[in-house]
Amino acid sequence: MTAPTTAARADPKPDALKAATSAALRPSAKNESAKLGNPMQRALERMGIDAEDFASITGELGVTPKETIYAQGTMKLHHYRPLADDVYRVPVLIVTSLVNQPYILDLAPGQSMVEFLLRQGFDVFLIEWGRPRREHQDLVLEDYVLDRIPACIRRVQEVSGEKDVSIIGYCVGGLLAALYAALTPQGPLKNMVCMAAPVNGDGLESLKAWMGKDFDEEALLAQYGNVPGEWVQNALRALRPFGKLAGAMSLLNNMDKIEAVRSNLRMGKWETDNLPFPGGVFRQMVNGFLRKNQLVKGTWVIGGKRVKLGDIKVPFLHLLAQDDHITPYASSKELVQLVGSRDKQEIIVKGGHVGLVAGRGAELRMWPALEGWLAQRSV
Amino acid sequence: MSEMDWSKMSMTTMWRDWIVKSEQQWSENMSRLLKDEKTGPVLTKQIDEARMMHKMFGEMAQMSLAAANLPSRTDFEALDERMGRIEDGMSAVQAELAQLRAALVGARAIAPAAGAAGAAGTLGAAPARTRKPAGKVPAGKSTAKSRA
Repeated sequence: MTAPTTAARADPKPDALKAATSAALRPSAKNESAKLGNPMQRALERMGIDAEDFASITGELGVTPKETIYAQGTMKLHHYRPLADDVYRVPVLIVTSLVNQPYILDLAPGQSMVEFLLRQGFDVFLIEWGRPRREHQDLVLEDYVLDRIPACIRRVQEVSGEKDVSIIGYCVGGLLAALYAALTPQGPLKNMVCMAAPVNGDGLESLKAWMGKDFDEEALLAQYGNVPGEWVQNALRALRPFGKLAGAMSLLNNMDKIEAVRSNLRMGKWETDNLPFPGGVFRQMVNGFLRKNQLVKGTWVIGGKRVKLGDIKVPFLHLLAQDDHITPYASSKELVQLVGSRDKQEIIVKGGHVGLVAGRGAELRMWPALEGWLAQRSV
Repeated sequence: MSEMDWSKMSMTTMWRDWIVKSEQQWSENMSRLLKDEKTGPVLTKQIDEARMMHKMFGEMAQMSLAAANLPSRTDFEALDERMGRIEDGMSAVQAELAQLRAALVGARAIAPAAGAAGAAGTLGAAPARTRKPAGKVPAGKSTAKSRA
């Protein structure tokens, strides 16, 4: 079996550098994985899938055509090629999570929130934070919220020629977007959408219990610099201890459905591809956000300024998942109450943290809800 | 599992299905145990021990590998850091080139139809920013909570 072709979607006139760098920039499983192990190979052969590597089963991930228009350290700002004849006036900037790869928002053709937004006529930009290295261990929230996001917004304004920008933040990216919006109330934001953004540290009960006063984050950071991706992954898995087992059982029961297998493997690839948590940000999150719950108390100081979510005055939408075990409702429900916008809404959709943005449920419920809300406010 | 296909049902399938259906309850119970105020410190202690063991094992392995003239994890991490820096550099060059190309496009007015909005566009001729939503823009302000 050959990989699903993406030729029709690829840049028809790639320049030499773009061709050379795209392979490195794309989170392609093909670039990373060796041939599949024997047990997996045998299972696939029994299903009639004659695949040699991961990418030949799943197709490449994150392939919607884009161009990197700004880079700073590990961060890249991508601009996606519009897929509609005309676009809404206000461009959309997506802020992704620090600890997860951004391609969950652009998994595969037909399974991509980014592609959906492009087809609905939005001009889409996306911030990819990249993989922090030891030299980035001192990065703090100020670097992201007061330096990198504003720089990206300026670049979006230059490229689009528009003063207004809508921002969409997912998970920790939603928190970063909210911090930016609260600290820059005079900024160019036209609309703000958060997806499963945590704001209440007390609502993250498990993480709070594990990172209480006995937890020595300084020893961890002294040893590794940043929190290793595997640690992040183990912590997220521990929030739903038997989730992986149930996923495997479900996959085995659906082995005759090729598309379900592909989809499962794509998600599985993403779930095991966590990014290290930048040391400085981790320290702030553990102390200020989790232990002292300073954001909802209005006492969190970032860049010498107190964060007041009430300073967010732009039209605001919070999309939440009903069964989110990573950002439970208790950790996110205050956001819509605390923002100062007169035009604000919270929509709770069925599904979990990942199913909120990717998969069949997202396609049927969340994406249309997002489009319906944002389109009216993007003219 | 959305629908039962009885023709494909077997004891194994039913057993797996039972695990899938029971998982949420098991996970909730386990999570309740893990976040208990008594369990938290025990878990934290175990995390610390695992970190220390990882450090000691890493140091021992590094010495053995160095003696055998083989690369250690530290060597691979150093290589990863260098590759990361190269990738960052390439991204910066790519972004600069995108800006340069946009400036050239603007200067030569290759895409005049895009007007001011598309002047600095980077992905070729920019589409017009004239799209309107299918429905009407609601006149009033909304403060709502809904379930979809």
